[in-house]
Amino acid sequence: MLKMNNINKVYQTEKVQTHALRDFNLEVNEGEFIAVTGPSGSGKTTFLNIAGMLEPYTGGQYLLDDVDVGTLSDNKRADLRNQKIGFIFQGFNLIPDLNLYENVEVPLRYRGIKSAERRRRIEDCLEKVGLASRAKHLPQQLSGGQQQRVAIARALAGEPRFLLADEPTGNLDSLMARQVMELLEQINREGATIIMVTHDSELARRAPRNIQVVDGQLADFTLYQNRSADSVVELASGA
Amino acid sequence: MLEIKPIFNAMRRSKAGAIMLLIQIAITTAIVSNASFIIYDRVQYLQQETGYPEDEIFHFAVQTFGKDVDLSQQFELTETTLRNIPGVINAVAMQEIPLSGGGSASSFGINPTSDQGRQGREVRSAYTYGDEHALETMGVDLIEGRNFNQNEVIIAQNRDVLPTVAIVSKTFLEEIFPEGDGLGQTIYLGDMPLKIIGVVGKMMGPWLKDSRPDNLIVIPFVNAGVYQKVLVRADPEQRAQVMGQIEDILLKEYDQRVVVNLNGMDESKRRYNASDILMLRMLVVLITVLVLVTALGIFGLTVFNINKRTRQIGTRRALGARKSAIVRYFMVENGIICIAGLVIGSAAAVYMGTALLEHYSLPALDHSYIGMTAIFVLVVSLLSVLVPANRAANISPSVATRSI
Repeated sequence: MLKMNNINKVYQTEKVQTHALRDFNLEVNEGEFIAVTGPSGSGKTTFLNIAGMLEPYTGGQYLLDDVDVGTLSDNKRADLRNQKIGFIFQGFNLIPDLNLYENVEVPLRYRGIKSAERRRRIEDCLEKVGLASRAKHLPQQLSGGQQQRVAIARALAGEPRFLLADEPTGNLDSLMARQVMELLEQINREGATIIMVTHDSELARRAPRNIQVVDGQLADFTLYQNRSADSVVELASGA
Repeated sequence: MLEIKPIFNAMRRSKAGAIMLLIQIAITTAIVSNASFIIYDRVQYLQQETGYPEDEIFHFAVQTFGKDVDLSQQFELTETTLRNIPGVINAVAMQEIPLSGGGSASSFGINPTSDQGRQGREVRSAYTYGDEHALETMGVDLIEGRNFNQNEVIIAQNRDVLPTVAIVSKTFLEEIFPEGDGLGQTIYLGDMPLKIIGVVGKMMGPWLKDSRPDNLIVIPFVNAGVYQKVLVRADPEQRAQVMGQIEDILLKEYDQRVVVNLNGMDESKRRYNASDILMLRMLVVLITVLVLVTALGIFGLTVFNINKRTRQIGTRRALGARKSAIVRYFMVENGIICIAGLVIGSAAAVYMGTALLEHYSLPALDHSYIGMTAIFVLVVSLLSVLVPANRAANISPSVATRSI
C-alpha cells in the first residue's frame, strides 16, 4: 500500500545541508496501525510530510498504491492527497470561520462531490465522532478534544485509504487524549490504515506496530502481538 | 467549483476587513464614475470646435494717448500697415475678441425696442464691430449670403450714421428665425435695424461658458477708441515672428500710443479655460490616487489575510486543494466584496450625480460611466488580488504540520 525505498530528504540552506531523512525504508500494509516515535528533530514529521505528499523528497522512491509519487505533478499529488489520505493535525487545523459542517465539507468540495452526497458523508462522519448535533457550531465553541474529533471526521469524510495523524493528542489533556485514541482505534478496527506520529510512549504502545525514527533513519521497530498472527505482516527492516 | 457559499459564510463571521474594503470600493466607484464623467464633459468642452484657426490668430490692444489723429481713420491706416507685414493674412480693428472671456452681448429682436416695449421673439447674442476684413481675419466660413462691401462699413467717431446690415452665426439665425428664412430678414439691436446679409457656419462668441456660446453677430462699424483691440491672422508658422514685430511697426507708424495685451488666440482661450484645465488635472489626480489607494487596499488586505491564514492555506492544500483552488478562493472572496461594493457604489454614484446636477449645475451623469467605472474597478480589484493570491497558492502544504 505504502512503500518507501531509500528515501532521502535534504534541507539545503546557503551554508548548511541538513539530512532530515537518510535512506529511509518502510512498507505499510492495509489495515495497519503504526505509531511513529522518536526524539525531537529526528525526522518524524518530515517522514509524515513525505508520506502525505506535503513536501517533496530529494532521493529514493515512494510508491503509494503502486503509483510512483515522485513522478506526479503538483495537481496530481493534490488530487491523490484528497482521494487517498486523511490528515489529523496536532493543532486540529480547523478553519475558524467555518462551522463544523463546513469544515468537514472542505475536502469533499475539492473532490467535486455533489451536494447531497456531501451532506450524507458529513452527517455520517459527525455522527461517528459524536458531534452531529453541533454541526452549526464554530470550532472555537468546542473543547480541544471535540475539535480534534471534528478533524477526525474531516479526515474520514473523504473515505481515504489511510490516515496520517501528527501528534493527534499532543494538545489534549489525558482524558481527551484517551478518547481520541479510542476513536482512532475504532476507526482502525473498521479497516482504516493509520500512521500516527507521537511523543507519547504510552500512546504508542497501544498501537500494534511501533517504529522509531532516529537521525532520519528507521532505528527500530517493536511489534505488539496483540493481534492475530496473520494480520502481522512483513515489516520493513530498520537501519 | 467557486465555493461561493462557504466563502460568503466565512466572511459573514469575520466581516470587519471586508466591510472596510466594500466601503472603499463603493466610494471609489461613486467618485470615479462622476469624476470621469466630468472629465469627459470638460474635455469635450475644451476640445470643441470654435470655428477659428486659433493657432493662426493673435490679438492685441492699442492704447492711444495722442490727440492729434482721428482714431477711426488712424486704425484704417494701421490695418493696412498690418496687412502688409509678410506672413499676415489679414487684420481688423475689432470691438471685442472672440474666445477672450470679455465682450459685449445684447438681446436682438425681430422688432425694435420702442415698438411697444418690443414684441416678438428675442434672442441673446454677443456682437462685435468689424469691417469687411473681419470674416477673413477670424478665419470663419461664410455658408450663406455675402460679406460686407465697403459702402456698408461705417467708419465714424460718432453715431450719426449707423450700420444697416449684419453677418450672424448660424446658431443665432436658427434660434431667432427657426423657420429657416432668416437670411435677408431684419433684426434689431435696440432700435437699430440690421439686415442679415450673411451667415457663418461656426463662429463662437467671447464666452465659451455662456448659455449661448455660439451666438455672435458682426456689425460693420469702425468706431475706434483710445483703447482699441485689433485681431490679426497670420501664417501659423510665422505668427510668432509677426507678433514679435508688431510693437515696433505700429510705433513706427504712429508713436503716440502703446501696444498691450499681445496674445495668441489659443493662449487667451487657454487662460479663459485655466480653471477648467486645473480642475481637469485635479480630477485626474484624484481618480488616479483613489484607484491606487483602493488597489493598494485590496492588495494589502489580501496580503494580510494570507499572512493570517498561512496555516489554513497549508491545511487546505493538505486536504487536496490544487494551487488554482487557492487562487480561486481569494479571487472569489474579493469578487464578492467587490461586487457588493460596486452595487452600493453605483447607487451612490447616481445619488452623487443628482446632487451635483442640483447644486453645481453639472450635466446629468451618463449612467454608462457608472457601468464602465464598475468594470474598471472590478478589473483593478481582481488584478490586485492576483499577485498575493498566487503567492498564497505557493504556500507549501507542509505548513499544516508545522508547530504553532
